[in-house]
Amino acid sequence: MAVQADDAAPVVPVARRKRRGQLGLAGTIAVAGAAAAALYLVLAPLLALLATAFRGPSDMLPFESGAHWTFDNLVDVYVNTPLLSNVLPSTAIFVLGSVTVTFFAAFTLAWLVERTDLPWRTAIFTAILFPLLVPGVVMAFAWTLLFAPNAGWINVALRGILGLESPGPINIFSMGGLILCQGVASVPFVFLLLGAAMRTMNPALEEASSASGARPLTTFFRVTLPVLRPGVLAPLILATLVALEQFEMPLIIGFPARINVFSTRLYFDLNPEDELPAYGKAAAVALLFLAAAVLLLIVYNHLIRRAERFVTVTGKGYRPTRYALGKWRLPALLFVGIYLAVAAILPAIVLVWTSFAGGSSEGMSLDAYRTLLADRRFWPAVGNTFLVAGLSAGIITLIGALLAWQILRLRFPGRRLLDVVSFMSIGIPAVITGFAVMVLHLTIPIGLYGTVWILVLAYSYRLAVSTRLSRASLIQIHPELEEASVASGGRWIDTIRRVVLPLLGPSLMASFLLLFIVGFREFTIPMILQSEDNWVLSVIMWKLQADRQTAQAAAVGTLILLFVTPVIFVLRRHLLSRQGES
Amino acid sequence: MLTVRGLTKTYATADGGFQALKGIDFDIPQGGFYTLLGESGCGKSTTLRCVAGLEEPDGGSISIGGEVVADPERGVQVPAFERDIGLVFQSYAIWPHMDVFANVAYPLRVRRPRVAAADIRTRVMEALRLVGMEDYAGRQATKLSGGQQQRVAFARALVRRPKLLLLDEPLSNLDAKLREQMRFELQELVARTGVTTLYVTHDQSEALAMSDTVAVMAGGRIVQSGAPRDVYGRPDNRIVANFLGSANFLRGKVVEARDGLATVALDGGASTIDVPSRARLSPGAAVDVIFRPEDVTTRLDPLDGTIECAVERIVFQGGMSEYQLRLGPTLLRTVVHPSVSAQAGDRAWIAIQPERCILFAAN
Repeated sequence: MAVQADDAAPVVPVARRKRRGQLGLAGTIAVAGAAAAALYLVLAPLLALLATAFRGPSDMLPFESGAHWTFDNLVDVYVNTPLLSNVLPSTAIFVLGSVTVTFFAAFTLAWLVERTDLPWRTAIFTAILFPLLVPGVVMAFAWTLLFAPNAGWINVALRGILGLESPGPINIFSMGGLILCQGVASVPFVFLLLGAAMRTMNPALEEASSASGARPLTTFFRVTLPVLRPGVLAPLILATLVALEQFEMPLIIGFPARINVFSTRLYFDLNPEDELPAYGKAAAVALLFLAAAVLLLIVYNHLIRRAERFVTVTGKGYRPTRYALGKWRLPALLFVGIYLAVAAILPAIVLVWTSFAGGSSEGMSLDAYRTLLADRRFWPAVGNTFLVAGLSAGIITLIGALLAWQILRLRFPGRRLLDVVSFMSIGIPAVITGFAVMVLHLTIPIGLYGTVWILVLAYSYRLAVSTRLSRASLIQIHPELEEASVASGGRWIDTIRRVVLPLLGPSLMASFLLLFIVGFREFTIPMILQSEDNWVLSVIMWKLQADRQTAQAAAVGTLILLFVTPVIFVLRRHLLSRQGES
Repeated sequence: MLTVRGLTKTYATADGGFQALKGIDFDIPQGGFYTLLGESGCGKSTTLRCVAGLEEPDGGSISIGGEVVADPERGVQVPAFERDIGLVFQSYAIWPHMDVFANVAYPLRVRRPRVAAADIRTRVMEALRLVGMEDYAGRQATKLSGGQQQRVAFARALVRRPKLLLLDEPLSNLDAKLREQMRFELQELVARTGVTTLYVTHDQSEALAMSDTVAVMAGGRIVQSGAPRDVYGRPDNRIVANFLGSANFLRGKVVEARDGLATVALDGGASTIDVPSRARLSPGAAVDVIFRPEDVTTRLDPLDGTIECAVERIVFQGGMSEYQLRLGPTLLRTVVHPSVSAQAGDRAWIAIQPERCILFAAN
């Protein structure tokens, strides 16, 4: 270009005309629309949040008349306050502790399932997925039923066996309890990521070590772990991000123990007992954690790039050699058994039992279900849950695919920004998104606040899931497949509809399924944006258990289990079939 | 049918720009078979993609059948899907989610105004028959061999009877035997349909065997074009001589120059040879004598007028052996019947057919 400066000038308008020419009107609208939607879903709320942090007084909306620019919020929040002396240390301990628990459990489980001759692997694989699908709020509630110091099943049983006095011996309402519960709750997705990393590892690397005379343990530490390192570190960062945004465990288990972490602090700033919501202060708190999340995200991005370079996944079907467990078989099964009992089996049993028995020992009845089904909030909540999860999953999948396509296939200014924006959504804590969407829509009066539609909008910020999945399969699709369509006379819309979308089909399905599950489990966002018109099942369940309607809450939990169980099998088949292909 | 004038294209790169095309001019008459031949990176594929509309040139113009489809100076850039072309890719680009029929029917199905389903059926079957694939219409595209995918790609490119057929290294993914067979089939196919064809390849034997006109490209320019025989036998310069078949270069001095003939004393050789020369050379000028391996006779005993060399290496290639002979500082390649048995280190004598040699002024 520099060589022919005089030619450069007329080139620019032609390039623009060409793009419109190649895309056509429909294509231009679709591509520009997806870009605009991404900015609206991810960037606009964050900018509103940023503004809020610098607008005061704190109990006013940022652009209400009377509000002005100020640093008061930052001073109030960050100078000699409980945030620094209390919330920050608790959050750090909670995040580090739970990530450690998650990692130890997930790595061991993934290792056992993927690389050893553990019996019943498929069944164990399925059972491990259980907490992935059950909303965290249901898990938290079930664990309180099991481990509450007075009436918890396990405590009652232990007291009976050991002859101890009430309460105790286990107190779930403590930092330790909170860490363990969160740690276990995060295991499934880390397990899936680690399992994938172990599966795609070229076994020849280990075989070469054995052939060089190294014993299995030496091979594990000298070859396996170093090779897996990027594939292990990336999920570690992701687990940290997830722990940082956790809200349901800290609310249900941490709050009774007077443990305040970042997410609950934000929530209580916005929903104080008898004051006005402190928007400005909440935004100031959010900034710190947003910065932490973005930092983690940068590290994560760096790591996965390295991982892509490091692990040469050729798509060939590796069949890693499995270690014979030998005498370790029984301890391994015991570990898996205890994990599954705590993470899946006992919570399921206690929920079903409580829904019939009402927590007392007066006998079984269907009373809880009768009351629940007669509750006028129940059926709308069911409808809302599926509507919001389904719609947001569809929106994200579509927009994400279009974004991935244009980022990969088109050259235009702002491409990098779109890429960053769509990727950023992995790292933004849900509690911040909920809050940011709230501020944005309280400020722009388009009548969405308080409706179910604002939930759809807020849920739809998770673009990264879809853009990443679509991008991965778009890279696999040779551009000549698309060019062949254009050279055959196909317009943009023909190419997208008849070539790109069908080829993306499986990854679009995966993206939809994943996002539907995320939306179905979602608790944080609907809590923050709740109104009488947009309650979803997880929120209803929390309300019932907070009102001590234990049996009814358990009944909601049981119904959720009933719905989720078949989905687990669908998901398993999907995961295992992908495993078979790769 | 196809007219390309002054085509230029620069790609933006980190260090300024890479000028892929530096002014390409050529014409293909109706029904002609025109080949762009060159090494990778010479600009041949870029030229084809500009003609197809998949790339946009910076300057120059392209017209297909009299219609200007690209002329950046006048702001004309007809998108690829509105050009009347058929295109076959190196990777075939057969859509894996469609069966053979759907792949071939695609150009008709996306055509507006719509083509009636019955017509589509007739024309797709006709195209499949043309490439001998009519029995495979219902076959999933991924269940085809490379050669079959190739045929489907041809059927898809021809099904809407384009004015211009564009072939981007269509044979280079096939194994040697199949490539030869497909070359004949392709030639026959093009002859039968009479479609004007632009062919891009790096394989000189394909280019020489199939084309009406061969254009050798290097560094974003066409360095020579003409009938295959002319380009091969009378290369205009070293690049062409070197690229079209292997060539030997011998340094020498002009002893005497008459019209059309120059007597050259070869360095390291005792004798002179008389070489036809188009250029006007004065005695004493340093020249390169260029000749092809097949234009040399290699003997194991001396004969009048032969040049003595040392056998450096013998590469047995089945039907023939390639001899690498050292003559002073240069290494010559000659072709010898495999029954001749010599060993590395032996001496050999070569006789060059002077009338097949080409002279270039040395630089």
